[in-house]
Amino acid sequence: MQNTLRDAAIVELRSRVLEACIMQSKLPDGMPLDVLVNDTLYHEKKRLDIDRKSPTRAEDQAFWAGVKAKLSRGSEDDVRDVLAQIIGRFAEEIRGNFSQSLYSVATKVMPKALPILLNAMSPRRLMQRGIPDISDTIVIEGETEAIKKVAKRGTVILTPTHVSNLDSPVIGWAIYALGLPAFTYGAGLNLFSNPMMALFMRNLGAYRVDRLKTAPLYKDVLKEYATVSLEMGNHNLFFPAGTRVRSGKIEQRLKLGLLSSGLKAYINNLQRAKERPNIYIVPATLNYYLVLEAETLIEDHLQREGKSRYIITDDESYLMRKILQFSQNLVNLEARITVRIGDPIDPFGNRVDPDTGASLDRHGREIDIRKYVTDRAGQAVHLPQRDRVYTQEAGESIAREFLRHNVVVATQLTAFTVWEVLKKRHPDLDLYRLVRTGDEGFGIPLGALTEKVMIVWKALHARAERGELHLENGIVQSGDAAGIVRAALRHFGTYHSKPVLTRKGDRVFCEDMKLLHYYSNRLRGYGLERELGQALAAEVTA
Amino acid sequence: MNAGAKTAAVLGGGSWGTALAHVMACNGTKVLLWMRNDERVAEVNERHTNERYLKDRKIHTDVEATADLQRAAEFAETLIVAIPSANFRSVAYELGDFVRGDQILVSATKGFEAEHLTRMSELLREETCCRKIGAISGPNLADEVMDNQPTATVVASPYEEVIEKTAALLAGPTMRVYGNHDIVGVEVHGALKNIIAIAAGMATGMKLGQNASAMLLTRGLAEISRFAEALGADKLTALGLAGLGDLIATCSSPLSRNNTLGRKLSEGLTLAQAQADTVKVAEGVNTTFAAAKHASRLGVDMPITRGIHAVLFDDLSAAEVLSKLMARANRYEHSEFPIDAPHLVEGSVVETALAVAARERGW
Repeated sequence: MQNTLRDAAIVELRSRVLEACIMQSKLPDGMPLDVLVNDTLYHEKKRLDIDRKSPTRAEDQAFWAGVKAKLSRGSEDDVRDVLAQIIGRFAEEIRGNFSQSLYSVATKVMPKALPILLNAMSPRRLMQRGIPDISDTIVIEGETEAIKKVAKRGTVILTPTHVSNLDSPVIGWAIYALGLPAFTYGAGLNLFSNPMMALFMRNLGAYRVDRLKTAPLYKDVLKEYATVSLEMGNHNLFFPAGTRVRSGKIEQRLKLGLLSSGLKAYINNLQRAKERPNIYIVPATLNYYLVLEAETLIEDHLQREGKSRYIITDDESYLMRKILQFSQNLVNLEARITVRIGDPIDPFGNRVDPDTGASLDRHGREIDIRKYVTDRAGQAVHLPQRDRVYTQEAGESIAREFLRHNVVVATQLTAFTVWEVLKKRHPDLDLYRLVRTGDEGFGIPLGALTEKVMIVWKALHARAERGELHLENGIVQSGDAAGIVRAALRHFGTYHSKPVLTRKGDRVFCEDMKLLHYYSNRLRGYGLERELGQALAAEVTA
Repeated sequence: MNAGAKTAAVLGGGSWGTALAHVMACNGTKVLLWMRNDERVAEVNERHTNERYLKDRKIHTDVEATADLQRAAEFAETLIVAIPSANFRSVAYELGDFVRGDQILVSATKGFEAEHLTRMSELLREETCCRKIGAISGPNLADEVMDNQPTATVVASPYEEVIEKTAALLAGPTMRVYGNHDIVGVEVHGALKNIIAIAAGMATGMKLGQNASAMLLTRGLAEISRFAEALGADKLTALGLAGLGDLIATCSSPLSRNNTLGRKLSEGLTLAQAQADTVKVAEGVNTTFAAAKHASRLGVDMPITRGIHAVLFDDLSAAEVLSKLMARANRYEHSEFPIDAPHLVEGSVVETALAVAARERGW
């Protein structure tokens, strides 16, 4: 968001949230303002007790001590002032420091910097080949024209899948490469503390999200920030999973908090009779051969439900050595990261005709979506319960699009096949035991594995033909099962601490069951297990 | 759309659709009832009866019938759809040409589309642009409703607006309305209870006693609630009006068409013969087919449904099915685990060793 716009957004944001707080406090069951301030104070004090590393800790402590002092002797007007200050402080924290001139520099530097970051080539190869073209590393495909068209007709919310901290720079690059204007996006504070990531985020329209702040008022300010920025016509980037997916699966349960900003902004736009009120959601998938932080993520996932950490601040993406190693891998193996742009949908989850910007039902009939939110008099109104269900339905549409635009790569396909074979071999073991015991050193003959990969490939290919998913251009598309296994072994053998799969003689062994599970999970949700299961059962009978 | 007076439209002039139109009219609502047959439209408008389905019962004069779907679709904010499940999609598709996003659509049909186990509210969602969609279900035998007997029904929808507005149309001196957000549970129970109703009809036909019918009802409820839960329903819905309530009404009433069908089948008639002399559609036949088809995919054991399926489509007799069901292995009531199968060993290492040793000694 540009600075002038951003100042205007802050003014709007402050008055909007303050007004809402005052209005609800007057309701019979509303929260009185002093209780609201106290509640926020309580959450913030609790956070400061835990968050001892925060660079603004002393400052924050002083601010909240001041709030406490004013509150104890304050009149009603004082409480209102204190509340306004708190809202203002949260808003300033969130907005970050965007600079147009720095943005211009960054966008010029990025095309050169990102390939170096991602490719991290040896000086010798750099000398030989020069700076590589980023498009060799990041492939952008899918509905690229559609996103450009709808970006001209309204405001876009880009919602990609989220597996890695590399997602932000990668999607940032894709936005730049598509020739779209800068997108505003909320990035966790932890990303700003990582020097590599901060380089790409600080000045690319990112606003700061502190996930340790649990005060409901902070979350309200945050959501309203996104809403205001959308109303001002700033395209936004949300990761609807909220955090990196730990299991490796394609996210199907989405966090709807931020997503609801899209519908809220749309209704506000209608109320203000904006010329281009429409908000378009564009799902996208990010597809990696190997995931930078896979080891930490799956480890966290397997800590069983409830124990896993929401925020991880010590994974591979914080280690320069690992990032370089990962990047080198990308270049040496000519691995590509595929960004696939999905079809645009409206804030209610209907598909959109990119040429006209109109929403369509399943039979292609045009829908007047204003009717979803207008009352009998034709006025657009917010109805929180109704709007939550609308947003939930939009979330379901995004989840479906994620599955449809998933691009299958060789590592996932091979890992899935091996995992299912091992699971079949040990029907008595539950997930955790299987992960611990592994394949007990038996391995799978290469020829047998290739056959099974072919079975899964055929099932995938049939689904791809029906438009239910996509196969990566190249080896996976070709259907050369032996080549797919070779490609997977090549990748799995390099980057991770232990090779996920390795070939010894004519057998393939798994050396890291957790990672095998992680990579296999990307193909869950398509019912492939049954098809491979039937083939394996037939084999046993034979 | 009419401003001022309360209005509603009902699509489908069968017994339940007509009864719903009548109830709403009794509550002071102008109701437009859409039906395809011109003669019956004339009958409702001129004589205020729908003899084919409701004999000589009088329909409220504020119910007007029409064969014009567009007019019905545009007549009111709330539309109740009571079309047999077999024709539901095609009518919903036609309706899609006329409705707008601010309208409320409520399904009053209990059944599935067999191929993908699609619920009726899902069909409305798929075939129209409407989002504010709900479903009505409960122990509501149409004839009793027409006779102004007290009853209660459930309006289910994720949207509170749908529940509130539909309840305002239906609730009156003879009908209580309960809301439920669990539309999946309400619809699935409403549909599946028809399978048990067919079984109950067979039990009546075979002159089985009260013990047998209680066994059928409770074990029937157990299997349909397992199925509903596998589809994402809330456990508690099974114990509500749309679950247990509807099951009791349908299974114990000779008025129920599924119950009647079951009775005829137990007398040795084939499905075609049993259905030959009735104009009302027994939804349980379609539902049995759909549920049996999808139960194994969902990993749900449905022995009673399998049995009814065998009678309906594989020409097994009711008596044969009963003896097969009675010969099943004895099981734990909640887990369905066979009593005489070896249990999974659990507990400490010592307990495990003791349990294995005991098992080896034949205990």
